[in-house]
Amino acid sequence: MVRPYEVVYIFDSVLEEPQINEKLERFNALVASEGVEAPKLNHWGKRTLAYPIKKRETGYYVVANFSAESKALPEFERAIKLDEGVLRFLVVADDKDYTPSRQPGEGKFGEEDDE
Amino acid sequence: MMRRGRKGDPLAEQGIRNIDYKDEKLLQRFLTERGKILPARLSGISARHQRQLSTAIKRARFLALLPYIKRSGS
Repeated sequence: MVRPYEVVYIFDSVLEEPQINEKLERFNALVASEGVEAPKLNHWGKRTLAYPIKKRETGYYVVANFSAESKALPEFERAIKLDEGVLRFLVVADDKDYTPSRQPGEGKFGEEDDE
Repeated sequence: MMRRGRKGDPLAEQGIRNIDYKDEKLLQRFLTERGKILPARLSGISARHQRQLSTAIKRARFLALLPYIKRSGS
């Protein structure tokens, strides 16, 4: 079954951008299938981690959104896990819309109720 | 942050339906000084949002966007 997924990668910040892109391409190839568009990548870049992971204080964050066959995921996750350059990663089903439906102040939720 | 009396859900007021675990600025508002999750009783958010919030915060902690604990000294 094809489902939308979201993956957040935290790469070791000692890696250079070309190396990160090469790794991303390798991971993406594992979930690519026919008729499915290429993943949308969002590079957040280097960020300070809230706590050290594998003795590193910073990480290079990349968020990827894509649709993939669910059967392809275990192999995909295994490949990432084996990669030393990835400090941590999270795969979640991407079925939620996070954009606010209303601007602040609009609508009746802000109004006083009678209690 | 903390509200007295019965007020609406502060997230619903902003038109947020689903809480994004990647939005650590938003999640930060629902943590105590120590980094614990604020009870809904104090933040006034709806039960539905509180459930979402707890998963979102836990994901954000795993991704080192938020700390598991904050030292009071620093």
